[in-house]
Amino acid sequence: MALLAQIEQPSQSRTRRRQLSIPDALAIVATVILLAVVVIGPRIYSVDPLTPDGLPLTPPGRGNFFGTDELGRDVLARVIDGMGLSLLGALLVIVSGVVIGGAVGTIAGAASGSVDTVLMRMTDIFLAVPGPVLAIAVVAALGPGFGNTLLALSIVWWPLYARIFRGEVRRIRYSPHIEAARITGNSRWRILTRHMIPGAIPAGIVAASLDVGAVILSLAGLSFLGLGAPAPAPELGSMTQQGLTYLDTAWWVPIVPAVAAALLALVANFLGDIVRDRMRFF
Amino acid sequence: MKIVIQIAKRAPSALLVLLVLLFVVFCLQRLTPVNPARALAGDRASESALQSAYEQLGLDEPLYVQFVRSVTETLHGNLGISGVTQRPVLDDLSVYLPASLELLFAALLVAIPIGLILGVSSAQRSRGSGFLRFSLVLGSSVPIFLTALLLIIMMSQQLRVLPAAGQSSFTDGPIGPTGVLLLDALLAGRFDVFADGFSHLVLPALCLAIAPAVAIGRVLRSSLSHTMRADYIRTARMKGLSEFTVLRSHGLRNSINAPLSMAGIQIAAIIGSLVVVEDVFAWPGIGLYAVQALDRGDFTTISGVTLALGLIFVLANAVVDGLQMMADPRIAS
Repeated sequence: MALLAQIEQPSQSRTRRRQLSIPDALAIVATVILLAVVVIGPRIYSVDPLTPDGLPLTPPGRGNFFGTDELGRDVLARVIDGMGLSLLGALLVIVSGVVIGGAVGTIAGAASGSVDTVLMRMTDIFLAVPGPVLAIAVVAALGPGFGNTLLALSIVWWPLYARIFRGEVRRIRYSPHIEAARITGNSRWRILTRHMIPGAIPAGIVAASLDVGAVILSLAGLSFLGLGAPAPAPELGSMTQQGLTYLDTAWWVPIVPAVAAALLALVANFLGDIVRDRMRFF
Repeated sequence: MKIVIQIAKRAPSALLVLLVLLFVVFCLQRLTPVNPARALAGDRASESALQSAYEQLGLDEPLYVQFVRSVTETLHGNLGISGVTQRPVLDDLSVYLPASLELLFAALLVAIPIGLILGVSSAQRSRGSGFLRFSLVLGSSVPIFLTALLLIIMMSQQLRVLPAAGQSSFTDGPIGPTGVLLLDALLAGRFDVFADGFSHLVLPALCLAIAPAVAIGRVLRSSLSHTMRADYIRTARMKGLSEFTVLRSHGLRNSINAPLSMAGIQIAAIIGSLVVVEDVFAWPGIGLYAVQALDRGDFTTISGVTLALGLIFVLANAVVDGLQMMADPRIAS
């Protein structure tokens, strides 16, 4: 998905981007509401997601807003927890991807020569391996678990950022302010940390913000395949998987967590679009 | 001809990718918490039996020797015995792969035209393009299993027009020569099997097609709206060409490169979603096979599936490279 940032060209002119459009404002409001639900939600809505709260498969209604699942646990409480877990997981994957990819890309771009060649060949090979399949294989080898799915996705997710950071660092290398910093006697380390890395960060942020939605969906997919946290943990994907049996009789058990994952990804994608549009003209 | 040569030139790097994939799978095999010697010798094996199983599997040799052996074994088609079916993994793959390929091709056949339509119609700045943009983002935000469930609820449970599970309702369907059910049914002249197989194919293929269609549409929208502002488009219009001809032979031809790259990237995503879709629709392909292996923690099978899917991905990318060169001969030279 990060390649979208490179492939998609600016479609609108610079001046139109400055004001906040109505859809953008809506997306930001939705983000704030969603964050509030995820962060404050569990404190206000103090139903335990792990213990039964009513009869099994109670339909949505007054007692349990989204009904209860096959064990009588409150679906809303579980979904709120699951959303928090997804969001946290996605951010961890993105951050580690940016850190690993950023380090590889920056070193490759700043060092150039044979170091550059070796690092980028490695990156290209990782890009040429189908990511989702590799992630499944990694979790299958290490054993299911939330931490292992995060590890697997981080292993798959860094190469795109390495490409982006290398490109940015190489672009900045020959710009006048780097020249000036060199002439005034700054050490190579200082130039790297004070000038090159800050220069490459905006592009990294754009790519990363466009990826959050995709990571949320990938995590949900792995969890759907039963590779996430073990049974009682409220993960959106595994909740849907376990609720599949009740699709005919109690639709809310599989559908509500799946819709929650879609909602998270939707808001993340819209926010990513906004960030891309705003940061392009840094 | 030039294109064939150009693609052949990339063969070494494709082979390198496959070798690295083999290496990664090899490393993962060493990392599994399951001790293969223990699995072979049994739970209550004595210390010496365990030791001989250890030596029998060659685990006492240096790692590079083990790796070289694993590569040669793989090249000879020996992928081990599957814990799911107790048969060689390669035999299983040859049984399950055709069904998956059928699904993949069907998904691409649906995704490409939809992507083109989405891209072209949202690039023209017309009424409803804002809504179209929204639905493009929406399409890339829905988890694949939600799409699958909604399609099943709508088409199979409410309208009762399409089956929701399996590949065929016939048990006496033709087997061979290709292994792909729809082709076999046509070759055997069993049109009832063909129609039934087709109706089973619609929902999973549609489900797989949505995300790539949207991704292709998004990229095509931006590259096409860029191209359509070029001077040669204005010239083509001034020559009196119809808007359709301008779009087809001047606009699309020059903006198809980015969507093709995107299609190449999307193939990885489709292959990943394939596992989930086959799981939901009980489609008897390698995805379902992989899910059964995941449930048992059978990493031998998973390695085989990973290698097979990696091979498909590398081949598909070679095809995309070729298409890009056909669209833009400058890349080949």
